Amino acid sequence: MSSPLVAPPIAKTKALYCPNCGGPVEFRGFGHALTVVCPQCLSVLDASSTLLKIVQQAQDEQSRRTPLIPLGTRGKWAGATWEVIGFQTRSVEDEDITYEWEEYLLFNPYKGFRYLTNYQGHWNFVTPVESLPERRAIGSRPAVVFEGVTYKHFSGAEATTVFVLGEFPWRVKAGEEVLADDFVHPPLVLSSETTKDEVTWSKGEYTSGSDIWKAFALPGSAPKPQGVYLNQTSPYAGKVGGVWGLFALMLMALVVIAIMFAVLSRGDTVFDEHYHYATSDRGEPSFVTKVFNLEGRTSNLELTINTNLQNDWAYFNLALINEATGDAFDFGREVSYYTGVDSDGSWSEGGRLSSGLIPHVPPGRYYLRVEPEMEGSEPPPAKSTPAAAAPATTTNPQSPHPNTFKARTLPVKSKSVYYEIVLRHDVPSYGWFWIAALLLLIPPIFSTIRAASFETRRWSTSDYSPTSGGG
Amino acid sequence: MRYAGYLIYSMMMLTTATWAEFRGWTLSRVNQVTNVPKTVRDNPGAYRSHYAYYSRYVGGK
Repeated sequence: MSSPLVAPPIAKTKALYCPNCGGPVEFRGFGHALTVVCPQCLSVLDASSTLLKIVQQAQDEQSRRTPLIPLGTRGKWAGATWEVIGFQTRSVEDEDITYEWEEYLLFNPYKGFRYLTNYQGHWNFVTPVESLPERRAIGSRPAVVFEGVTYKHFSGAEATTVFVLGEFPWRVKAGEEVLADDFVHPPLVLSSETTKDEVTWSKGEYTSGSDIWKAFALPGSAPKPQGVYLNQTSPYAGKVGGVWGLFALMLMALVVIAIMFAVLSRGDTVFDEHYHYATSDRGEPSFVTKVFNLEGRTSNLELTINTNLQNDWAYFNLALINEATGDAFDFGREVSYYTGVDSDGSWSEGGRLSSGLIPHVPPGRYYLRVEPEMEGSEPPPAKSTPAAAAPATTTNPQSPHPNTFKARTLPVKSKSVYYEIVLRHDVPSYGWFWIAALLLLIPPIFSTIRAASFETRRWSTSDYSPTSGGG
Repeated sequence: MRYAGYLIYSMMMLTTATWAEFRGWTLSRVNQVTNVPKTVRDNPGAYRSHYAYYSRYVGGK
């Protein structure tokens, strides 16, 4: 039983002999070939007659390249069976770097000729184009429109044929030069080849090497693609917009949840008392408040201290103590408010009000222990601290070297503050939602950067490299 | 599903934020103390905050 890849209509090859070396030369192109290359001596022969006149003496053996898909290999692609009948390598030079690629000529007696091109593991299935694309420009960049698709100009260069093997439906020889231009619309590429006599256009579609290996039943595996090719499909194409769309959806969900918390949070004022403190007061400065009740679920507690401070500060040592368990939340709040006028105009710093959140407070009966401090406050004698040992004096705080500054003790006036303590239970804070929104933002930004990086790598080898400012 | 990874990640973020908000967690740190003596009610000086009477200066511009 014959291989299912071999289509019955394709006839067997016929063989003639090379006039240069006498070796057999096979013909697979059903008489369409105008040029054939002797596989032994690499002479380019005129295939338009059976005389096989020599068009080009034997190519340099050093230029010999081995095709990855051997001539005569047949495979099924795009619904037809194709046979590889010709192989050539071509190159362009740019800034002393030679870029060389392979072209495989495929033949089917009903469909005609197609090409497979390979550059560093990047493959294209190429079809000759019958109609002429329409030239346009996108800004200052040339473009062409073909079958309703706009292709951006990628690069143009003089391409030189390096090596030829097999048969071709045109006059081909090593060293031949054409002006090659590529216009891209991934995964498609539209290429023009200009000689002094004609311009030919072809359309290529990017395809994976593994698919070609499968279609042509080639042994082993396709070479791994290197770098980013001009019409390679971006793995991020179409995904970036989708991720941003999902981000917008999640952000909306976050806003809805935040609104729900704003509406459903109790925000009960559970404590609101006014106090006065003066540094001249003798005795224990700390005191405890009346007991208040926190109802409902474990939630946060917002503490606000509202003062009448003017160009002064006060510090409040606070402990929220559970009456039943003795568990306490120990914290402090500093309130300072300064204002004045200088050469820049009026200024103010700080505020008379300070508030903060006590997290995760279980329900129960609580009271506050409050211990205010101001400049000149004397610590109670029971507690020995460095500050406690100091007299109620102040030194110049502006001194850059306080230790070398001869202590200039100044009497501190008695200070006092009126303040109000307000406690609200179960208050929406939204902090977590802001953090969640920022974290949600990371993947879309990351995707956008990766997609942009892919395109930068694609265009870095073009005439419009974003990194070299070429164009 | 095309964006399954991001969807799972997003749901985790939303759930965590909602739960943290519901439980009243905050990023601010508060020192938690256990077994404060009941005598504090009668003698507030019996308990002294960790933060009390540090040397501090708070001044204006």
